Formats: sequence, C-alpha cells, structure tokens
Amino acid sequence: MKSLKNHLAFVIPLAFMLLTFTIYLFTNNIIKDYKQSISNDYSIVIITHTPLIKDKLEKMSSFDIKAVTRLKKDKIINKLKKDLSFESLNLLKSKLPFFYKIQLDDFPTSSQLIKIKKELALNKNIKRIEIFSKNHNQVYLLLLIINQIVVIVFTIISIFTVIIIAKQVKIWFYENSRQITILQLHGASILYSASRIIKQALFSAFIAFILISSLVVFVSLNMNMFIPLELQDIVRTKLDVQTQIINLFLLSFGISFITVMSVLISYKISNE
Amino acid sequence: MIEAKNIYLAYDENKFIIKKGSFKIKEKEFVFIGGTSGSGKSTLLKSFYGEISLKHGSLIIDGKQINAINKKELRSLRKDIGIIFQDYKLINELTIEENIMIPLKINGYSNEISKNQALKLLSHVKLSHRKGYYPNELSGGEQQRVAVARALAHNPKIIIADEPTGNLDDYSAQLVWNLLKGANEQLGITVVVVTHRVPKNLGIIFKQLSIEDGIIYEVS
Repeated sequence: MKSLKNHLAFVIPLAFMLLTFTIYLFTNNIIKDYKQSISNDYSIVIITHTPLIKDKLEKMSSFDIKAVTRLKKDKIINKLKKDLSFESLNLLKSKLPFFYKIQLDDFPTSSQLIKIKKELALNKNIKRIEIFSKNHNQVYLLLLIINQIVVIVFTIISIFTVIIIAKQVKIWFYENSRQITILQLHGASILYSASRIIKQALFSAFIAFILISSLVVFVSLNMNMFIPLELQDIVRTKLDVQTQIINLFLLSFGISFITVMSVLISYKISNE
Repeated sequence: MIEAKNIYLAYDENKFIIKKGSFKIKEKEFVFIGGTSGSGKSTLLKSFYGEISLKHGSLIIDGKQINAINKKELRSLRKDIGIIFQDYKLINELTIEENIMIPLKINGYSNEISKNQALKLLSHVKLSHRKGYYPNELSGGEQQRVAVARALAHNPKIIIADEPTGNLDDYSAQLVWNLLKGANEQLGITVVVVTHRVPKNLGIIFKQLSIEDGIIYEVS
C-alpha cells in the first residue's frame, strides 16, 4: 500500500504532464493541418521595374519566403496578338514590368499581410503590390490562442511536475539512505547504491507512459466521441498515434531520468 | 597489510580519541583490539575503511595511503575488506540470502555465482533453512551470523569485525569465532577484531593491541 502510494506520487504528476503535452501536440497538429488547408488562400503579387533577386526579399516581417515565382507575360501578349503588329508586340514585351508571386513559409494573418505590404512598399524596385486573401483570420487566430494557452499550461504543469517528482525521489533517497550507506561501505558506487531508486522512478515513468499512451490510442480510435463531425469538416483532427507515442515515451523517461540524476548528484554532493 | 604511524583520530577537532597511534599488522595475522568502552576501538576500525578521516599521521591499508586516496580508490579498497558491524547493518528489505550476495554483486560476480556462494555460506553459519527470511525475522545471534557470512562472501583480503560476539549466545559466538579462525587459517585472510573479551582456547596465534587514553599499545 505504501509502495503504491509512493508510486502514485510520481505517476500522477507525470501523467498530467504527458496529458498536457498530448493536448499541445494535438492542437499543434490541428493548426498545422489547418494552415496547410488554407495555405493557398492568400496571394502576394508584386510588380517590379527590374528582375527581382529573391535574396533581397528574404526575411520580411519575421516570415520566411518559401518561393518567388515569376509570372509569365505571355498571357497578356497573347491577348493582344491579333490587334498589334510584331514590332509593337516586341516593344510592349520589353516595356512590360516584371510580375512575381510570393509564397511564404507560414500562413500570415491579415495584420501580418498588411505589415508585409508596408515593408515591400519600401523597396524602390517594387512598383505595385497586390494582396489577395480570404478571411480565415478569426478561426486561425482562435486556434493560435488555444495553442498558446496549452503551451503556457504545459509549461506550468511541467515545472510543478519536476518539483513534485524531485521531491518524491528525495523521499525515496531518505527512505533508502541506510541501504545506500551500507552498499557504499561495501565499495558500491552511488549509482549502484541508488539503483533501486532509479528502477523505482523508471517503473513509475513506464506506468505514466502506458496510462497516457492507452488514452491516446483510445481517443484516436474513438475521435467521433470527442470531436463533433462538423468540426472535423473544418479541421483535420486525426492523431498520429505512432509519433505521439514515441514523443510520450521520450518525454516520460527523459524527464524522470534527468530528475532522478539531478537529485542523485545533489545527494552525492551533500553527503561528501 | 595495515600500518599506522602517529595517527590522530577525532570526531571533534579538539577532542582526539586516538592520539599518536602507531602499530603494524602483517598479512594473514589475527589481531584483537581491546580497550575499555569509549576508548576508540570502533573509531579506529572505521578509519580502516575510510568512514572517519585521519586528523594527522599516516595509515596504509593494503598498500594504499588511506588519507591520500580518492573516492574511486576508496571504493576499490572497500571491495577488498569484509566488515562485520556491531549493529550488523543488514538491509531489511532484502532476504538474508540477498544480503550475503551484496559484496559479490558489487565485486561484479554473476547472479548465479553469488547465489551459490551465498547458499554455501548460509550452510556454514547453519542458516540454510532460513534463506528466504528477512533480517528482522531473525534473532540477534542469527543476524550476526548472516553479517559474518556476508563479510566472508567475496573472500576479502582483510576482515574487520566490531564486537562480533558482543550480543551473542555461546552457540552463535562459538560459530562466529570458528568462522573467523577458518577464514584466517584456511584462506589466509587478515582478521582484525575489536572485542572486550578475547575468547579462551581459540587455538590460534594472535596479536593483541590495546587502547588506553587514546594511545595504542601492543600487548605482549
């Protein structure tokens, strides 16, 4: 009973942390997929006097440029082919400015698009800037806010989890201090002497990992129970179970191992 | 094997328990350290395995200057010593068989070898029938016999025993003395025992040191 209580004091906070991490990954996936689905719903077209060098346009308003595509003038020329002579067409061709379509790495909000437009306007080579966008702003911003809140909650829970599990490990060290001393008197290293505590912590980490992984699998198989179909039409709410489980495994064991080792080092220092 | 030159030992900086102690213990010797209660016998033993540091002087154990060795060397030295503590120092969460396996495991022996050796020693201390028991399920005498078995398990170079028969009945005490005598005679292990009373008719040549007012004498 006492041993179960000891494990629960480690498992519960760690499981909460893994749960918020899962929610964070889930909302992050939703945002990524949503961004993907609306990525072509904006367009930045610029008209320049001379050919454009991509490097000069890099880094606009913290957005990275994914691609700068030169738009062909042939369409305009073809339309006027019937009405103009060959010489006039050639002259027109040489006088026409250069058209470019800019694609960014991340989907921009309306205000970011305005900022980008202003920054581009400072470039003297750019004659005109046209920005077209559908208004996805509200949904996108809402998703971003949810994601930010989840990040904050995850950070707070992580800090508390590390404090609580470090305290539990300290209790284990206190409970096992006699055994550690006896083993050290027989020539064992601190790592060997504390191996029981390390095993205890890793076992607790395994329990927390299994609990949350099972939950992830259950939710992914029964997504309709948790997320209304209407919402699933707007955003893709599928969970990448395999990646999620790998991430949970790394986080669960990583945090537990680092915490135990930190307590072990502080125990070693204070006992020397 | 053990050589002390002008050693000073103290828990408190100004109160020396051992003052200017000098003695020599040769390999394969059987040595008793006597003295009144509080004379510093246990403190002297603790200095042999580095539980208490010297204030002054030099103490060489198995060729190693104890006050000049690092943590790793101290661990290695402790692996070569079998210690019998006055309060047994058995791990209550482990069975007596597992307790005996401790020094073997620390010295890197496999589980199988450790187990076989533990069973052999349990039969020597007449506790084979209790191998699955935990220390707190045994009497004081039985616990001390387990502690002796543990000290002998890895065939150490030195056995250090602090009042190994202090709380024992005659049967257990005789068993312990026989084991220590056997370890010294048959395995050539150096044995250093702190005790109030040297057993009669031990049937072995031994050296005797005594501590009085912090000074170590060799009793002729």
